[in-house]
Amino acid sequence: MLGFLFGRQTGLDDPLRLKRAESTRRALCLELNPDRNVERIHGNGINTIDIEVIEGRYMLSGGADGVVVIYDLENHSRKPHYTCKAVCTVGRSSRHVHKFSVETVQWYPHDTGMFISSSFDKTMKVWDTETLKPAEIFQFVENVYCHQMSPIARKHSLIAVGTKNPKVQLCDLKSGSCIQVLQGHRGEVLSVKWSPRYEYILATASTDSSVRLWDVRRASGSLFTLDQFNGDPSKSSSEAANTAHNGRVNGLCFTGDGLFLLTTGTDDRMRLWETATGKNTLVNYGKVVNESRKGLKFAVSQGCSLEFAFVPCGSSVAVYAVHSGELVTMLKGHYSNVDCCEFHPDYQELYSGGKDSNILAWIPTPRPPDIEEEQDSKKGGSQVALNPAFEDAWSSSDED
Amino acid sequence: MWFRNRSYAAEWRTMNRKRALKCDTFCGKRGRSGAAEPLPAAAGGGGVAAGDRGDRVGGALDIKASLEHIMSLLPGKLWSDTVPRIALKHQLYSLHRDRTRVDRHLNELREQGDVLMFQLGFDSESVAVVFAADFKAKVLAAEVGRATQGPVEKFLNTVLASCCDMSVDETKMLQEFLFADSEITQLVKCGVLTVKDAGSWWLSIPNSGRFTKYFIQGRKAVLGMIRKSKYSEMLKSDLEGRQTTSRVKFHIQYHIHDIVGAELVDCIETTAGVLLRFADS
Repeated sequence: MLGFLFGRQTGLDDPLRLKRAESTRRALCLELNPDRNVERIHGNGINTIDIEVIEGRYMLSGGADGVVVIYDLENHSRKPHYTCKAVCTVGRSSRHVHKFSVETVQWYPHDTGMFISSSFDKTMKVWDTETLKPAEIFQFVENVYCHQMSPIARKHSLIAVGTKNPKVQLCDLKSGSCIQVLQGHRGEVLSVKWSPRYEYILATASTDSSVRLWDVRRASGSLFTLDQFNGDPSKSSSEAANTAHNGRVNGLCFTGDGLFLLTTGTDDRMRLWETATGKNTLVNYGKVVNESRKGLKFAVSQGCSLEFAFVPCGSSVAVYAVHSGELVTMLKGHYSNVDCCEFHPDYQELYSGGKDSNILAWIPTPRPPDIEEEQDSKKGGSQVALNPAFEDAWSSSDED
Repeated sequence: MWFRNRSYAAEWRTMNRKRALKCDTFCGKRGRSGAAEPLPAAAGGGGVAAGDRGDRVGGALDIKASLEHIMSLLPGKLWSDTVPRIALKHQLYSLHRDRTRVDRHLNELREQGDVLMFQLGFDSESVAVVFAADFKAKVLAAEVGRATQGPVEKFLNTVLASCCDMSVDETKMLQEFLFADSEITQLVKCGVLTVKDAGSWWLSIPNSGRFTKYFIQGRKAVLGMIRKSKYSEMLKSDLEGRQTTSRVKFHIQYHIHDIVGAELVDCIETTAGVLLRFADS
């Protein structure tokens, strides 16, 4: 560490190198910390979490009871022990709350004045954060599984919506209606993700075992379908031709630079694809247990020298090194199935939510304090961080 | 609410792995001479592979040695001269930790022509690996004196020598390799080709039916032994020491490599050794 600091100071190293080395070290030592808690508001399972990209301060969560909660993740108390409090809630008592479970929530990518939630009550609502009232409601014919707005888009404000219908709908925020339909899938669309590199590229995953990449400007259909055998007809049986997985594909995640796409399927496999060509990189992650009937929401780290994928597997979160396929560790802590997880790139923290209605915060292990600091505090005598439970309550004086 | 029990042995093992990854990051990648790290994450992954470029040749030989070891676990007396020794690809995963590297080295061996890979058919994921020389010798030995000898020899010399695929289709056979329809029928009859769809065939190992039968029986028996024990888990050393029933015809280590590699059981490190717990899914 000192070597990196010296290198940066003298200009021998790129400043990015120190940042990435330290981010990787922090991402590798995630654990549950007794000092950090997220307030428990949901009464039922938590289906989705989203952290806003502008400041990284507010977190949205959507639950199985239709409740949407906004948390403040920043620590303004001067103490190390901190509970992330809920700033506001769209609870069951609100007139505009979703009737059934909220499947996906997402902040408006450019500011926190707005967020979008979609639910099994066949609607997608665009909320005003200030008043917590929906500014726009999009009605659909079928249950909505997922939606996403492109995080980098400047020229369009399209929301891609995946429902039980095989057609992927594109809704325009500016005009308030569904303006385009992408046809090609033959089963329910479980997951949609925009590329973080090109604002017109969209990936969709479906129960017909295929993953399609679309350019929304093109009217004629998908760009290509991801094929797990890389177009080699010899390895597959004819039913498995042109499929990304041998079962339903229920999770999609682009890496931070948008060059690679991770997909998970109910055949207990996770695959890494090159986005430019659609080639299967054949990285072998082993068995990635996946029993989710709906979409699986997983996250990939950003800003580290080795990217990690955080995938919910049963009641724990599995951490895989993306390009080598190695299982780094399993984060165990939830009492029930984990449904979603989200990585905070600035602090290298992981937030995961599950059916036990808890959101757990996985924090990098703090470095042990230096020996000099300990001696100073002993000399100084002031014990600011002493837990009141350990303080002596008795006094040795006779008068008391 | 935030206090969770953790297994110390599992934690020790993950700590070792994480320490290895952290050392890589902080000390620079092996094989690089202190140049600045490449920026995109893709090249970061490539950097790890570059570190073992030096032992890539060593890695392929390593895989070959593991294959030979697994094949040696097949019993000698059951093995007649007609069937080559078969190992399954996922058995290698139980011997080597890095699956992607195993896959890559195996593909290299296959491109060099040292090994052949076949789809076994009972499981869409199981791939059988045999040594090419062994396979050719056994097949030719079985065909001596029979009418199908000619087409089989032609097949071995042309198709197996040139293409590395696991299946062929009609157009390829007829045009590229100039086989007649009757010759294809003879190849199917002697077992070198198996029907996949109308007009395409899997390459297969002749007379491998007995192997498949014993293999599936043995796998079920070994999994049954684990499932019937208390809490559906057993120490690996205990399992090796158990007396196997007559259903298990192969050495029990062969089946243990198979179930560990195919992840039909979870491997948990304990202070008393490796524990195999039946993974129900």
